[in-house]
Amino acid sequence: MRIILVGYGVVGQSLADILLRRSIETVRDYGFNPKVVAIVDRGGAAINSKGLDLEKMLALKKKDGTVGTDPKFGYPQMSSSAVIESVEAEVVVEVTPTNVKNGEPGLSHIKTAFKTGKHVVTTNKGPLALALPALMELADYNKVYLRFSGTVGGGTPVLELAKRGLLGDKIIAIRGILNGTTNYILTKMEEKCITFQQALEEAQKLGYAETDPTMDIDGIDAACKVVIMANWIMNKKFTLKDVEVQGIRDVTLQALGKASKRGNTIKLIGSIDGNPTVAPTEISKHDPLCVSGVLNAVTFVSKFAGEETIIGRGAGGMETASAVLRDLLDIKHNLASELLM
Amino acid sequence: MKKIVMKFGGTSLATGENIRCVANLVADSAKQGCSVIVVVSALNHTTDDLCDAAEQAKKRNEAYIRKFKQKMLEKHSAAALKAIKNKGVLQEIEQIIKKTLDELEKVLTGISYVGELTPKSRDFVVSFGERLSAPLVWGALRDLKLESQWVTGKEAGIVTDANFGEASPLMNVTMHQLRERIGPLLEKQVVPVVSGYIAATQDGVVTTLGRGGSDYTATLLAAALAVDEVWIWTDVDGLMTTDPKIIPSAKMLPELSYQEAAEMAIFGAKAMHPRALEPIMKESIPARIRNVFNPENPGTLIAKAQTAKRTEVVKAIALIKDVAMINVSGAGMVGAPGSYAKIFDVLGKNNVNIMMISTAVSEANISLIIRRSLLGRALSTLEIVLLGRGSISEVTAEDDVCVIAVMGANMKGTLGVASRIFTAVARKGINIRMIAQGSSELNVSFVVKEKDGEVAVRAIHEEFKLDKAPR
Repeated sequence: MRIILVGYGVVGQSLADILLRRSIETVRDYGFNPKVVAIVDRGGAAINSKGLDLEKMLALKKKDGTVGTDPKFGYPQMSSSAVIESVEAEVVVEVTPTNVKNGEPGLSHIKTAFKTGKHVVTTNKGPLALALPALMELADYNKVYLRFSGTVGGGTPVLELAKRGLLGDKIIAIRGILNGTTNYILTKMEEKCITFQQALEEAQKLGYAETDPTMDIDGIDAACKVVIMANWIMNKKFTLKDVEVQGIRDVTLQALGKASKRGNTIKLIGSIDGNPTVAPTEISKHDPLCVSGVLNAVTFVSKFAGEETIIGRGAGGMETASAVLRDLLDIKHNLASELLM
Repeated sequence: MKKIVMKFGGTSLATGENIRCVANLVADSAKQGCSVIVVVSALNHTTDDLCDAAEQAKKRNEAYIRKFKQKMLEKHSAAALKAIKNKGVLQEIEQIIKKTLDELEKVLTGISYVGELTPKSRDFVVSFGERLSAPLVWGALRDLKLESQWVTGKEAGIVTDANFGEASPLMNVTMHQLRERIGPLLEKQVVPVVSGYIAATQDGVVTTLGRGGSDYTATLLAAALAVDEVWIWTDVDGLMTTDPKIIPSAKMLPELSYQEAAEMAIFGAKAMHPRALEPIMKESIPARIRNVFNPENPGTLIAKAQTAKRTEVVKAIALIKDVAMINVSGAGMVGAPGSYAKIFDVLGKNNVNIMMISTAVSEANISLIIRRSLLGRALSTLEIVLLGRGSISEVTAEDDVCVIAVMGANMKGTLGVASRIFTAVARKGINIRMIAQGSSELNVSFVVKEKDGEVAVRAIHEEFKLDKAPR
């Protein structure tokens, strides 16, 4: 399967790493022979229709900060949309950074891929949060697949649990801790009795929080995930503006103390039970959702099977890249059965 | 009285001088008492230019349309000026060219307004090439005091299905109408000039014949009018034993059977498409490939197989580059019905044409040759579908290969031909990657690395002494 990799940051490089390390097993065990025919990053593109040498591409990225400098396969000036349009491939893996203002450049990347008949695997929450219903329709219309397991729960198969694991059941509500950074901050505030500001600084020092932590602490990242789950799992046509969002800036030590006395704690919970919301919420410490540190947890309330909770690390390059690999295998499997019909 | 269909290709009509020369060729034969039916292609490159213009029109590029019309007007007027001396005739032809181009401009403008180019409208645009060249030849003939009349393929009576771009004639209707409409002209000693390549549906919508093109128009006419010979005038002396660019001592082939000529289609544009050979093959009408610029040369005769000299086992060798080989292997394919079907099915659905196949009775692998430009798609699709299903363990490809096709009707039943071919190649230390021989035994094809291709062709050419004068 020929792949165009758009975005060569942490996730993109992790994917390259996994493909390299797993190449023999994926062919043997899954009949999946991935060939990355193009990589695009901020500095340009590298293109080789026979498949790029991923080891070289990783080394080049480390050395020059871009793959566009490759002497033989590099195209320093080439734009991402030109690559997506002109390079022959089955799948576009879109792993550029999330932008919740207008979804760009991811949104255009995905649309261009659809128009040229390419399937898309993305970990980019922006385009999905803003336009998932539209993108799903476009994918259907163009007879291609759109997969985005990595957008919720990182490597933890949150979406798959609901979509496949609970196949046939009706999911009534979803609640979850969907953001590792805020969960880390809240956990530390309670454990160490430190203020929000102090806990945030600690998280930044450890690399759990970005220099600009707005996306995480204001609940936007969690809200994006709520939108994706609502659309994909519950068939609701929500977008980001439909979610009522409140972050954790205003959570005080006092409030945490009071909750603790009741055997509870405060977590940033994203919830779809009627209206979609994201807000600091008091929950029992015995609730299976109540996980600490950077962990994520999601509870699905289904009509017949009751409540299921899945817990796992919600972020990380390798984790997210493993979700991408899963999606690629899923597409390969679907294509194979389709073409044999 | 001898009846001949003469078809002139684009290069033989490239300039006004050439057109005059073509007219003289026709006139000479007519003066010798032959009835001649002329079939013309569009002027050199015109068909490609028309395709480009249609694409530009689709993009609403109106400035291009205006410029294009001007360019076409200059090209055809210049040709007319050189080809026709008589003032009156010249003026008449110039009028026709102008009127035709006005219509073309309207059609292109129409396309640019709607911004849509369907196969139907493309055929209509392309048809203007032959609609412009036929009047030029007609004028040049009248200039030489020949009674002549020009008609389009549609007016001549060629009726096709509505498969635009690649239309197939409704054979019996076409034959009947050609006889009804062109036959009387011949009786009146009038030389018909028919625009090739274009035809029409039963409703009169313009279509084009696609593969085979103007040659096909010529052979349809030949069959309908039961002519004695078809002469395909081009810019080469005839078909060669191999590409003279590879082997300068390559010789012209004086004679080929229909079957051999059909095999020669892989030799490229200079050969006749098998589809065009069909009508004359049925009626046993010989065709001759001749050079406009060297009319003394008899050219290559394509006719019914002679019970010929057994010595000429190998007649021609072709080297086909731009191909790639795909190998599918897996022990699970052995004895498993439907394994190959899956492969062909997947490639077929993806519009990949398979040029050559080879597989051993052990069934553990199959090799295919396809166009190199399609390799990426073909390989990826095969991997997606076939890998991970147990029976197939590997799909590999080589894109640095070429096919060598060795052709000759007398290979059939002659023992040891294959042995001679492969010994000659082996002596050069060249490894053969894949071999196929159809049961017709007219052609042995094999695959070697591209870098070895020319050496292998030379080795076989020498082994069968094709550079020596034909015996």
